[in-house]
Amino acid sequence: MKKISSIFFNAWILFSGLLALLSASFIFIYILKNGFKAMTWEFILSNPAGIPLGSEGGILPAIIGSLLLMLISCVFASILAISTAVYIVFYCKSKRMESLAHVVIQCMAGVPSIILGLFGYTFMVANLKMGRSLISAGLTLGIMIFPFIQVRVEKTFREFSSSMLLSSYALGTTKLYTLLRLVLPQSIRDIVSAVTLAGGFAMGAAAPIILTGAVIFAPIPKSLSSPVMALPFHLYILTGEGISIEKSYGTALVLILLLFIINLVSISLTFWRKEATK
Amino acid sequence: MNVLQLKSFYAYYGEKKIINDMDMKIEKNKITAIIGPSGCGKSTFLLSLNRMLEESGGRAAGNILFNGKDIYSMPKEEIRKRIGIVFQKPAPFPFSIYKNLTYAPVYYGIRDKSRLREIAIDKLKISGLYDEVKDELGMSALKLSGGQQQRLCIARALTVEPEVLLLDEPCSALDVKNTANIEKMLRNLAGDYTIVIVTHNLYQAKRISDYTAFMLDGELIEYDETARMFSSPQNRRTREYIEGIYG
Repeated sequence: MKKISSIFFNAWILFSGLLALLSASFIFIYILKNGFKAMTWEFILSNPAGIPLGSEGGILPAIIGSLLLMLISCVFASILAISTAVYIVFYCKSKRMESLAHVVIQCMAGVPSIILGLFGYTFMVANLKMGRSLISAGLTLGIMIFPFIQVRVEKTFREFSSSMLLSSYALGTTKLYTLLRLVLPQSIRDIVSAVTLAGGFAMGAAAPIILTGAVIFAPIPKSLSSPVMALPFHLYILTGEGISIEKSYGTALVLILLLFIINLVSISLTFWRKEATK
Repeated sequence: MNVLQLKSFYAYYGEKKIINDMDMKIEKNKITAIIGPSGCGKSTFLLSLNRMLEESGGRAAGNILFNGKDIYSMPKEEIRKRIGIVFQKPAPFPFSIYKNLTYAPVYYGIRDKSRLREIAIDKLKISGLYDEVKDELGMSALKLSGGQQQRLCIARALTVEPEVLLLDEPCSALDVKNTANIEKMLRNLAGDYTIVIVTHNLYQAKRISDYTAFMLDGELIEYDETARMFSSPQNRRTREYIEGIYG
């Protein structure tokens, strides 16, 4: 009996693993196969053209736009998230305050992204008169990924060796020095990988930027207050309006490849740091 | 001369009283050993002396005077700089040996490279580690053996030039040879530093200390010169403890 259940269990694990692996590779290969035809240097390096717009030409402004959105949201969200985690783990003395902060962060994580978009629209675009712009969309994405980064960074700080912390305090150093010289340098790998993952998440999101800054066509943004093109929104328009199936697969492929490269860079960065501290 | 003096001192974790009405004077530039069974408050006592108690959630009441000044009216950072502590389990920072030793001096504003190097090498020599690691100062401190790590932690505690060094069972995880190394080092340090060492090992207390204090259930039972304490303890409970371990 025991043997049968163990065989069943092993088969189940194998099946689940294969399912995950196969569906991921299927999506990638399917998009690669269909998008490959659209992938030319011209597609990557020129503006959209044709009537309707996007049926010819390329997606350069969308690539740059998505990268800029990712950058802004990551900078904004990681500053907030790291500070929040530092406060909760190292400075907050009241248990009640700590659980309140956790509840708020969990609620933020649970807000549907389209609602965040609506919030960004009413608060930033309309009330603060920031307009539909790179900065409004970037900040909205930042709000979306803030809980994602915060939870991971807090976990990293919590797992930091308390005997090392005590040793540092015992030398008479302040909390701030201990944080800057001991905790952050040791946690930077985990923080970078959390931020990169979150950046990928932000780059792929369409809902929060539809109302706050993404447009069907805009040149490469000249300032933070310019509207912006973004890959997921462009993909949505190309497919939704039936403009060009070939170009949508091309756009999807570029998006996936970008995410792939970002993750690769993050892994090699953290790997390099690990080697350096050995 | 007394460097530290406790006056009706109490320590608590939450509602639990760990140290009960302790009065004690600690002699300058001598080694004082604290002995007693597990859970008698030895470690809490040690943590109280440089205000590390509050970092682990404890609370103190009463006075501890350091050179006549109440430590709870001084900034805790200053107290910890002048009264260093080495914990039971060595916790070197995950940096190179060299960087472990310059971590605190850099905090106190020393930037000159040659001065930093001088401090690092000097403290390594004091802790008897220099000959073993002199060619590998850039090596990660985590690669050292347990005994070497503990000596590095002692060297690190000395880099801020404390006046008092507290040690919480520094040899409990070490073998005989490493223990002998550390004991020899402590004897050499005793002329320049006041040392308070918590130990489980009565032989160790007898070998290295000038004064010995016996604690039981958070109270100071007996405190005397080590030789007298071990040859003719005045208190029945002290005698029982010493004999019990011997027997």
